[in-house]
Order: sequence, then structure tokens, then C-alpha cells
Amino acid sequence: MMETADMAATLGEKRIILEMGTGNDLYGRYYTKAARRAVQDALHHSSITLFSKLNIDHSQMRVEVTIAVQDREQVDCVLVAQDLPRGRATVRAVKGGLNIADETSDSLHVVATAAVEAWLPDQAPAYKLSS
Amino acid sequence: MAKTRVLVEFGMGTSLRREDYTEAAKRAIKDALWHNSVSVAELFDFPKDAMIIDAEVGVAQPDQVDIAALKAIFPYGQPNIKVTQGGLDVEKPHAAGRTVIANAAVIVSFDMERA
Repeated sequence: MMETADMAATLGEKRIILEMGTGNDLYGRYYTKAARRAVQDALHHSSITLFSKLNIDHSQMRVEVTIAVQDREQVDCVLVAQDLPRGRATVRAVKGGLNIADETSDSLHVVATAAVEAWLPDQAPAYKLSS
Repeated sequence: MAKTRVLVEFGMGTSLRREDYTEAAKRAIKDALWHNSVSVAELFDFPKDAMIIDAEVGVAQPDQVDIAALKAIFPYGQPNIKVTQGGLDVEKPHAAGRTVIANAAVIVSFDMERA
């Protein structure tokens, strides 16, 4: 649950992007590694250039990361949070993703999916279209 | 301030068997677009059709790409599409032909200024 102070901070915020990615750990059954790769995949399919163009400080951005894997208990959310290069990030893990098992060889492929949501204070009062 | 670049999306697409540069380019653009759900127009309360969309595609044979087919991918807006020499072709080791890889970037801008 959100703290009261966080609730106040989220008022007047808008989600600017939802970035989605997937990552695997194919042989190690390491859910955190799959999760970190999913976050990297999500992050590196876009570049939010408005920060530098409009001189908006990255600290204004709140980042919510959701990791989905079959065994959510095994995800080190603190470690995953350290991979977020900018903004104020929180990470949670839920049940989802995909595990592919091969009963004949005892192998397990772990597939994680990541949703990275970025929020900014409403910029509508500060800007207008030209012409 | 004029035209202001607010977001760039990246993707990769392939044609594995048909050496179809248009299909690889389409998949690269879709990869770029469908990894992100973008709400930058809403951030400024601008209409979505105010988004200026520039797409750049790199493939090994740019003249083989049907640009009209690429424009049809976009759900809204009139994208400007530029196809340049790039991407990567990988020769098949045991047969004639090559595998085609396209790189794409989709750039979102607004013609905007401080209120």
C-alpha cells in the first residue's frame, strides 16, 4: 500500500510511457537475472528525450516497475531497482511470465516480463502548441 | 522552441527466408512501436494528431523498401519515413540467399513552446 506522502506526490501526475520487455534465464533458474534482462529490454526500446529538451529534471520522474515471473518470491526487487538509471523507482514482483519445463531432461527455461511505467507532473499548464 | 523531439522508439525486424526488405522494415517499426505505450500528447494536453512522427529505417538495400506499406502501419498521424543504408544482411552458409535484418527508430516531436 502507498504511504500518505506518496499519495500526495502522485496527485497531478500523468503516466507518460509504459515500456514493456522480456528476459530469460535459460539454464540457471535465476529469476532475478531474467527479471533484470526484461527491464533492460523494456528500457532500451525507447529514449525519453523530453527531459533534456524541456530541461525537466529526472528526479521529477516516478518509475513503477512490475516484474512477472512464475515464482515471484525468487526475485530480488532491491537489486532490480538498482538497474533503473533515472527517476525514483519502485519494483514489485507478481506471478506471471512463463516457465518452460522439459520433464525428460529436468531443464527449466525461465521467462520474465517487465512493465516499466514512468510518471511526470502534469506539463499541460507550462506548454502550448506553436502557430 | 519550434519542433521539439520528445521521444524516440527503437526496434528490429527480420525477413528470414524471402529477402523481403519491406517486411523486415515493417517488423522493425512494429517492434519499436509495440514495445511502448506512449502518452506524451496527454502529458501536455495536446491532441494526438499534433504528434509529428519521423521514422528512420536502416536496411542493406534501401531501394527495395515500399515506403507506402510502412506508412500504413501507423495508427494515426502522417509519418515521414526515411530509409537509409544500414541494417544487416547475413549470408546463408549452406544455401543461396541471405537473412535480412532491419533497424528502425520512430521519433515523436511536437511544434511547441512555453505557454
